[in-house]
Amino acid sequence: MAVSVASHGHAHDDHGGHDDIIYQETRDMRLMGFVLFLVSDVVLFSSYIFAYIYLRNSIQPTWPPIVNGHQLPRLDTAFAAFNSVVLFGSGVTMHYALENWKHANKRGFNLFMWLTIFLGLGFLGGQGYEYAHAQIGGWNGNIFGASFFTLTGMHGIHVFLGVCFLFALWIQTRLGVYTQDKFFGLTAGTLYWHFVDVIWVVLFFLFYLW
Amino acid sequence: MDLATIEKVVAFIGALIVFAFALVGLKGEWHKNGLDDNVTKVLLGLMAFGCVLVVLACFGVLPKGGGA
Amino acid sequence: MATVAPGVPTGPYHAVLDHIHPEPTSFIRKYIFSIDAKVIGIQYMITGAIFFVIAGLLAEIIRTQLLSPHGAIISAATYNSVYSMHGSAMVWFVVIPLLTGAFGNFVMPMQIGARDVAFPWLNLVAFWIFPVAGVILFSSFLVGAPDAGWTEYPPISLMGPPGTNLWCIAVFLIGVSSTMTGINFLVTMYKMRAPGMTFTRMPLFVWAQLATTPLLFIATTALGAALAALFIERVFGVPFYDPKRGGSPVLWQHMFWFYSHPAVYIMIIPGFGIISEVLPTFARKPIFGYKMIAFSSVAISLLSFSVWAHHMFTSGMVPWLQLPFMIITMVIAIPTGVKIFSWMATLWGGSINWKTPALYATGFLITFTYGGLTGFFLAAVPADYHEHGTYFVVAHFHYVLYGGSIMSMFAGIYYWWPKMTGRMYNEKLGQLQFWLTFIGFNATFTPMHWLGLLGMPRRVATYDPQFTFWNQFATISSYVMALGTVLFFYILFDSFRNGKKAGPNPWGARTLEWMVSSPPPYYNFKKIPAVLAAPYDFGNPLPYLGLDAAPGATEATPTHASHPVPTY
Repeated sequence: MAVSVASHGHAHDDHGGHDDIIYQETRDMRLMGFVLFLVSDVVLFSSYIFAYIYLRNSIQPTWPPIVNGHQLPRLDTAFAAFNSVVLFGSGVTMHYALENWKHANKRGFNLFMWLTIFLGLGFLGGQGYEYAHAQIGGWNGNIFGASFFTLTGMHGIHVFLGVCFLFALWIQTRLGVYTQDKFFGLTAGTLYWHFVDVIWVVLFFLFYLW
Repeated sequence: MDLATIEKVVAFIGALIVFAFALVGLKGEWHKNGLDDNVTKVLLGLMAFGCVLVVLACFGVLPKGGGA
Repeated sequence: MATVAPGVPTGPYHAVLDHIHPEPTSFIRKYIFSIDAKVIGIQYMITGAIFFVIAGLLAEIIRTQLLSPHGAIISAATYNSVYSMHGSAMVWFVVIPLLTGAFGNFVMPMQIGARDVAFPWLNLVAFWIFPVAGVILFSSFLVGAPDAGWTEYPPISLMGPPGTNLWCIAVFLIGVSSTMTGINFLVTMYKMRAPGMTFTRMPLFVWAQLATTPLLFIATTALGAALAALFIERVFGVPFYDPKRGGSPVLWQHMFWFYSHPAVYIMIIPGFGIISEVLPTFARKPIFGYKMIAFSSVAISLLSFSVWAHHMFTSGMVPWLQLPFMIITMVIAIPTGVKIFSWMATLWGGSINWKTPALYATGFLITFTYGGLTGFFLAAVPADYHEHGTYFVVAHFHYVLYGGSIMSMFAGIYYWWPKMTGRMYNEKLGQLQFWLTFIGFNATFTPMHWLGLLGMPRRVATYDPQFTFWNQFATISSYVMALGTVLFFYILFDSFRNGKKAGPNPWGARTLEWMVSSPPPYYNFKKIPAVLAAPYDFGNPLPYLGLDAAPGATEATPTHASHPVPTY
């Protein structure tokens, strides 16, 4: 007694309709899995954010901490504001890249995809500049460096991997892996990029504005 | 104008542009209902909030006591 | 909405479940790098069993050292490493992988009427991390194994032997494996249930696995963060936990226990699921309080994130913060108690078939409840001040971990062994093995309650001579437990060689895995059945439509109903 396949009801296009359902269900599973992965990534960052807040609020009497009799300087907020806009801008360009793909505008997609990659690399370059010029005693000097460089470093690794991910996705579009209707990889890449962006919103606030 | 002020001006202008585009994108996504669309809406909204933080930084509102 | 028979709504039809992929042909793809969740489940079981034996031997070294007050079996430094590795191996390399990776992979997909999990290749990767991480963990013995307990509190862990770095890496890796499994299982149970299997028609083992998945991928990542911080502090000097450099040892405790308390629920909730399957089958009665058991698992899972600091009552935390943790810890006992009463009510008035799985499940009710009660004593802050760091704690967690998790796993292995292997085990030997284990276990760990209350501290290689008699009693009893374990492996080995062939459903159970042959075909079901009701309605016809008839299996059709009858 086979279960009747009565759910889509297109008698004339059975194989096409059936394949569509299979694609949609598979895509739904992959999307859920990817979002759960992003949730676990949020937990990863949250743990270190908790550590930073705990150390700064409960353990350190002053902030920035006093090391060898001198209080460490605050970080360069102006530069970070500029670098943040670079990253947020890349989030917007990624959104429009995906929109262009959905509307079968290959040239628009390519333009915005490369803008995103370029801005992402720019952000990383900015972070390199920030790391070189920060006067807070290095990664293992004291608790300020420990939390700042660990958290922003982890974020930077995520951005770097994101750039690699986006580049790989772009190569896949050149190889014809995605069509106008089936482009889950691009959706995943966009979600990941937005996620990395939003983590930075939190880090920017915690290290530069608090 | 020193470097910090240039950075602040550029950041401010950039934040306004990005904020505008983020809101336009958000408005376009608003009616969509899939899991990825809802996640995108949340993230675009938080990105717009990030632009607000940048503006506050540019005007020295945050951090309290002025930043570097 | 698909319908399977006139007027019977069964929910959306998952076309993706239709497809049967071709069976792998090479030995490597069939048994080594298999993407079949059943094979992966067995691989987890074998690997976990090996680590169980190693960790158990470490326990026997501990007990032998404690035969006399100033034992000279091993040095104090070695003793510290032995209990640290015993705990680490048991928690992360035995109980969690067995309950989630072994039982979850083998049983859950069949129970929801699926062919496999959502991401089979991810499943393969998650498994193979497990033996690799285990080898890394145990190789720490070669360079100086970690010696600050499985909890590795700084500052001691900052000064620990080089093996501590390997410990960080090994536990981090297995955490990654756990996270992958959690995501995989959650998507599977959410998206791949058979037509008609609404949430309230799922078997309770599936509910248990479902409740465990958020713990797997949310809590475990928090541990990974803590471990990575400890590692970079030890290796690169990045200060998080060292108080001399502005860090905080209590920070480690927060980060560690935020994971490790949910971890203990990872170690028991799937066990609850096993008990919920075994008891109705052997009492020949519907499970009492299906919805209460199902929802209480979810409640426990969610609440478990909010009680971590009850491990830290003596860390100097402020009293006003201790109070909510104490109260919520006590509150968590309520959904657990609901389950215990429901299980007892399931047995009550049943026609009980006292086979080995039933013995273990009933033994579980006794020992786990006992362990839960001592947990309540520990939850009370003023009592905990006296009990923390003593053998009272050791007794409590062994009662819930051995008397709970391990006993539930024994029940599960005896229960599902015929399904996995197609062979029965020797029932008389099984019963003997139960009694050896049950008596040996209770005799080993009961004395530890009063040893702890009398003041014997844990994690110390020697003790005051006043505690001698009960330590010796416990040690001899632990040898009885060990004998029980040896007998267990003999029983399994004997079953392979001489076991009677098992049919599809020797216990007369009602969940879907018993509706296919033993062992099951690699595709599980030729046609995915439709599900009309929860599986526990003993006395009513099976609630499935469209089962493929395996030889000897009883199949339900829309007109003809069948009642499963135990044949063993």
